[in-house]
Amino acid sequence: MLAIRDLHLSFNGNEILKGIDLTVNKGDVVTLIGPSGTGKTTLLRCINCLENPSKGEITLSDLQLNYETISKKDILKLRRKTAMVFQQFNLFKNKTVLENVMEAQIIVQGKKKEEAYKKSIEELEKVGLLDKLESYPSELSGGQQQRVSIARALALEPELILFDEPTSSLDPELVGEVLRVIENVARSGVTIVLVTHEMSFAQSISTKIVFMDKGVIVEEGSPQFIFEDSNNERTKAFLNHFKSNQTVGV
Amino acid sequence: MFDFKVLLESIIEIATVVPKTLVLAIFILLLSLLMGAIIALIQQYKVPVFSQIIKVLQSFLRGTPNVVLLYLMYYALPGILTFFAGILRIEFDANSLNPIVTVILTFSISYSVFQSEIIRGSILSIEKGQIEAAQSLGFSFWQTFRRVIIPQALVAAFPDILNSLLVIIKALSLAYLISVVDILGQAKMVGALSYRYLEAFVGAALIYWLIGVILTFISNRFELKLRHGFH
Ligand SMILES: Nc1ncnc2c1ncn2[C@@H]1O[C@H](COP(=O)(O)OP(=O)(O)OP(=O)(O)O)[C@@H](O)[C@H]1O
Ligand SMILES: [Mg+2]
Repeated sequence: MLAIRDLHLSFNGNEILKGIDLTVNKGDVVTLIGPSGTGKTTLLRCINCLENPSKGEITLSDLQLNYETISKKDILKLRRKTAMVFQQFNLFKNKTVLENVMEAQIIVQGKKKEEAYKKSIEELEKVGLLDKLESYPSELSGGQQQRVSIARALALEPELILFDEPTSSLDPELVGEVLRVIENVARSGVTIVLVTHEMSFAQSISTKIVFMDKGVIVEEGSPQFIFEDSNNERTKAFLNHFKSNQTVGV
Repeated sequence: MFDFKVLLESIIEIATVVPKTLVLAIFILLLSLLMGAIIALIQQYKVPVFSQIIKVLQSFLRGTPNVVLLYLMYYALPGILTFFAGILRIEFDANSLNPIVTVILTFSISYSVFQSEIIRGSILSIEKGQIEAAQSLGFSFWQTFRRVIIPQALVAAFPDILNSLLVIIKALSLAYLISVVDILGQAKMVGALSYRYLEAFVGAALIYWLIGVILTFISNRFELKLRHGFH
């Protein structure tokens, strides 16, 4: 359902993404792993057109676009099929939890208020935040904020949802609640592209792992293949580094 | 001897022009905000020619006292308007120009460059992350602007905007120089009639002070209310 071909991107003359090819099937959970500064976030942001690649093509279900000729209209179409969950949550600070989840449904999808309300309640129930409807983001913990942002994304029923290190700015004791929510999202069949440093979580949830280093995809495969059977030196070195300072999973 | 009865009478007399002064100040505030927003846009997008003109205007206005600007406009505006009216072939009698128009234009232009700074600052204060979140949810440029940027920028700018209202009210005390009567102008007249200038000016000072106190009070209340929950 998602195919990226020969994606290139530079920041001030530095090539950050050096020809990325990536395919994601419907219902897949694809996890991008790799060292810091490798371009994982940048790749996700390209899928959502928050960055401007210099070259490459993207196909998302019936949309087929070339980044060199992409129009504003196409960008909106692409964004309306996808949703992104950010490391820093990025909730609208002047809006309550409920309003955060309702806003885009009304503004972008043109839903009626009652309809948007119903959907918001549904999604907020799934992430366990029905008791916080009227709270403002500043009154919530990081884990709660991230769950709101996931509800906000899911309420739009995107075909593809992008997670960029959704637990990296959380206190360790809050990581679990967010990972459980993501797990449920994965189980519900939504297609996911995820960037995370939670290796055991990646291993358990993913249908495919993509290992990136220095702007290229080094190798990809099933979690079993990448975590257990890979013979690639760079992959092994990266994973070994992780095993020695493992972070807490679910 | 200072006469409190005269003071009271003076205050009552002066107070009659307070509504007019406030309306004038609010009008200038709104106009300067509008122009400030346009200036901010021109600077943001570095519109050629216009952004250079604004730079020069900015440094000119920064360095020139309001009194000078007011006199300058008073003597130049009729000529300028007659010139443009001539181009557009509109009947225009320069002598009919109400000095209130001169006051409004002078102060609106003068404060617009400061307002543009306030506007720019308040927009820049909004985290890029929230704007990106809106975009990633499919908001168009205008939807992001209207629904995410403006509401938060207004809250961020509110104290500064109210403060500039106070600055404008005080600056209007120059308006009597071109025969527009505001609080100070009225105080001068009251003083001249009663021969009690001290009481009249004390009255004017008290009224200015009161307005300042009330605006500060409103500012604090609104800030609390608008900011409720966030920050
Ligand atoms: N807006 C930008 N301008 C210039 N350089 C940037 C910009 N955004 C990212 N970069 C650079 O691009 C490279 C890739 O960054 P990116 O954030 O995609 O890495 P990452 O793989 O997500 O790393 P991490 O695991 O630390 O999040 C880095 O070297 C970074 O410094
Ligand atoms: Mg990153």
